[in-house]
Amino acid sequence: MPKKHKVSQRKIKTFITGIVLIFLILLVRLSSLQIFEAEHFRTLARENTLRLIPISAPRGEIFDRENRKIVGNRPVYMVQLINVGQTEDQLAPVISLLSRILDKPVAEIKDKIREGKFRPYEPVVIAKDVPLDVITRIEEHRAELPGVTIDIEPRRKYPYGKLLAHTLGYIQEINPEQLEQHRDEGYRLGDTYGQAGLENVYEKELRGEKGARQVEVDAYANPVRTLGVKEPVPGNNLHLTIDLDVQKAVEEALEKTIKTLQEGEHKQARAGAVVVEDVRSGAILAIASYPAYNPGMFTGRLTTGEVQKVLLSPDRPFINRAIQSTYPPGSTFKMVTAAAALEQDLDPTYRINCKGYYWWDRLYTDWTYPRGHGSLDVIEAIQKSCDVYFWIVGRMIGYESIARMATEFGLGQKTGIDLPGEAKGVVPNVEYKRMMIQKRLDQLTQQLNNIKEKYERLMKEATSPEEKESLEKKRQRELNSVQEEYERLEWELQWHDYDTLNMSIGQGYNLYTPLQIANYVSAVANGGMLYRPYLVEKITSPEGEVLKEFKPEPIRRVDISRDTIQFLQEGMRQVTRPGGTAYWVFHDFPVETAGKTGTAEIYGKDNHGWYVAYAPAEDPEVAVACIVEHGGHGSSAAAPVVKAALSAYFDLPVESETVAPTTE
Amino acid sequence: MQARRILKNLDYSLILAVALILLLGLVAISSATHVTGNDAQDAYRYVKMQLLWVFLGTAAAVTLLFWRYEELVRYYKILYVVNLVLLAAVLITGREALGAQRWIQIGPFSFQPSEFAKIIIIVTLAAFLAEREEQLSRFRDLLPVFAFIGVPMVLIMLQPDLGTSLVFVGITIGMLFMAGAKPLLLGGLVAGGLFTAIGWIWAHLNYGVWLPLKEYQLQRLIIFLDPWSDWQGAGYNMIQSQIAIGSGGLWGRGIYNGTQNQLNFLPEQHTDFIFSVLAEEMGFVGVIILLTLYFMLLYRGVQIAAQARDTFGTLIAIGIVSMLIFHIFVNIGMNIGIMPVTGLPLPYFSYGGSAMLADLIALGLLLNIWVRRQKIVF
Repeated sequence: MPKKHKVSQRKIKTFITGIVLIFLILLVRLSSLQIFEAEHFRTLARENTLRLIPISAPRGEIFDRENRKIVGNRPVYMVQLINVGQTEDQLAPVISLLSRILDKPVAEIKDKIREGKFRPYEPVVIAKDVPLDVITRIEEHRAELPGVTIDIEPRRKYPYGKLLAHTLGYIQEINPEQLEQHRDEGYRLGDTYGQAGLENVYEKELRGEKGARQVEVDAYANPVRTLGVKEPVPGNNLHLTIDLDVQKAVEEALEKTIKTLQEGEHKQARAGAVVVEDVRSGAILAIASYPAYNPGMFTGRLTTGEVQKVLLSPDRPFINRAIQSTYPPGSTFKMVTAAAALEQDLDPTYRINCKGYYWWDRLYTDWTYPRGHGSLDVIEAIQKSCDVYFWIVGRMIGYESIARMATEFGLGQKTGIDLPGEAKGVVPNVEYKRMMIQKRLDQLTQQLNNIKEKYERLMKEATSPEEKESLEKKRQRELNSVQEEYERLEWELQWHDYDTLNMSIGQGYNLYTPLQIANYVSAVANGGMLYRPYLVEKITSPEGEVLKEFKPEPIRRVDISRDTIQFLQEGMRQVTRPGGTAYWVFHDFPVETAGKTGTAEIYGKDNHGWYVAYAPAEDPEVAVACIVEHGGHGSSAAAPVVKAALSAYFDLPVESETVAPTTE
Repeated sequence: MQARRILKNLDYSLILAVALILLLGLVAISSATHVTGNDAQDAYRYVKMQLLWVFLGTAAAVTLLFWRYEELVRYYKILYVVNLVLLAAVLITGREALGAQRWIQIGPFSFQPSEFAKIIIIVTLAAFLAEREEQLSRFRDLLPVFAFIGVPMVLIMLQPDLGTSLVFVGITIGMLFMAGAKPLLLGGLVAGGLFTAIGWIWAHLNYGVWLPLKEYQLQRLIIFLDPWSDWQGAGYNMIQSQIAIGSGGLWGRGIYNGTQNQLNFLPEQHTDFIFSVLAEEMGFVGVIILLTLYFMLLYRGVQIAAQARDTFGTLIAIGIVSMLIFHIFVNIGMNIGIMPVTGLPLPYFSYGGSAMLADLIALGLLLNIWVRRQKIVF
């Protein structure tokens, strides 16, 4: 008989209370999840299962004025691997099979997987730009390649390679700054973005609208079914003012000329730029910068080596010299000085006797023609590019009126062309000169300090008095030479007469872009109308509908008289006639052209060669400006390129080279 | 005892509650597994297996009814040793899965001794405590009890199976309370233990103090505090289960229709997180039904403890009730994100042979105690 057993009711009640309490805790939490937050969790559950797979939009294409495609797209196949929870052992055969099909070492594929941080359900790109036959082989082995997917992506295609590279620009993955700036426009990491040139300026038009496929997926990201598809909208097309024939001719001529110069006496000739502009509208027919790069190199993932090679090239191929580099215009500036003088009532028949030098505060010699041109008026002065004439005239009218006329012609200002990064340039002025000299003075001060410090240290280390003495002598010598330079330059802080003289022949502190020069020549050619240069004629939708059309846009009518313009035109026309500085280049050209040579003096290096022209001389249609850095002379370095441009424009057969005489 | 008398005296509301829980569980398992299973396999494989366990468990429970549970007192020391041997065997020969050694292979089946260890511990501790009833008021009276329970607990912790060893704590507390230990002393011990554990973990996280846990175990233990801090890693399971439960709403998304379950966002959806399947597909209503059934079960269990013919019976019943409530609280708590992930199954509901057998044997014990409640010898 077991002992009498009685269980305390209090304990039982406590126990029941405990159970009730625990159930209450669970119920509170459950009702919070299932009643009060149900909507929120319903959304999360839906988000879990929905995936938007973006479909990239083909970027808008770019055509020349005759509808020839300059930039297009082509489909590119990408092979990706998705982590669906494979183990190393399961991955190994997949990788080795892929390695065989793609002809890539196993290690490389493994590296890509590691770099891609093989996170669950995120695809890692194993190979880009895979040829179709390789894709077919992958499809044949589909069953043995779990997790491997093929994706199609449109990619930029440049049928003409480097042609027009600087103007077209290039696209690349959007960088973090741009992403931050354009977040509201729907950009995502990994999207492409126009990084330079037209690709950048017209990014909004070109990019199109991404499409998407909405799919329901399971936890392993396997699509269960497609819920809907939004087709991508391709970007709009750009139709340029560029004439491919002229562009090609210009780039070929520029490259050929520079290479010829290098092989000859001008080893430093390595770069140049050309602008061909329609004088009646400001439309750019050709614009080139040498050396160029291949914009196609950016569409793939570049190896750092390739990028470094291009970026660190001393010729800086990324610079669009036509709009981003500024040069002294040399004698191509003389029409500005002439215009300023004529507007100041210089008698166009007034003649100056050039003896090859000019004595003012000191002696100035025209080194290009030291024996003197003899007596000339303004037209002959332009024709023969007489420095003495312009020195005298320039000094008479003063630098302010020359500067005013340069500004009137749009020099030293951005032209407003539809390209990014245009340089402004400089019309010489007192302030600018002071600034430049001050900069140099600051450098010299630094140099003086460095010398002092250096000798202080050396003196401390010196042991014998003889050594100290010799050091002290050396110190003085070094200090004196810098000091001298400093004192000379200090005087240069002021504007001096010879600055005006330099300025009036386009040397000194004049700094303009080739585009500004071309635009100024256009204004001379068309009778004084300064247009905003432009590159895009119209924008069309992918269906071909014209969305936007660009009309010529006058900036201003240059404030000079008809007569003045006519004297400038006559002067330029005489340049290609007997006795003119470019006669030997253009004497056999079937269309009469007007031009002007120029040589920008560069201290310690070969001079830059300039040539500007417009044609036909009688009823101008087209203006050209060309510079060859360190090309020596304008007529020999730049004029042949201009001639090639004009030949292409007038559909003339390309003729044999003209041999250059020695003087300008 | 004759079958007729047993049948007459059975606690049918208890049986009904368990039967309904089993039924709900089978529905949930079928929903959780009919897509998960490989195409080659039978879609109802898990349901059939679970049914087999239910059948075996019921058979074991019925067999137990013909025994007098009182007789177990005589064998409790042997049982205790057998238990230790089994647990030690797991450590030596056990099969490893999910980073822990919990299974022993017998023929085509593998079983988890720790599930049965819980029952054995309840029975042996009940016998141990019955000898000491009302002599447990001082702390030092409790020390032998701790030693008694400590040895198997350490063996389980070594597997490592933190969840099950914590069940031991729950069982011991419940049984000690019933056996007459001072509630204040027990409360103090529980609070002290909790405080120490939290303090230790805190010290480990902040000062790198040594902790007898592997990093992943600790991570699993504390991730429930902020699962979003590692939403793709340690927190993923918790987040997905809460999404499943929350998205179920009041009426649920329909059986076989929960996307969290059907598209496999829910982890371990037929075992640890089976509750989330029910909550997603049958909603708050389904959850209330299940909790009501559990409450019925536990309430009856307490009543059986109250009316047991002897202290041994009372303590066994209370031990079983403590075990069940601990499992229910920790498992559902883990599903709803208020408890760490410990891998304790939901009694009579989660898929799993050993647990089902053990839980049905426990049910058999409860019924055994109930049918013999009258204090007359037959």
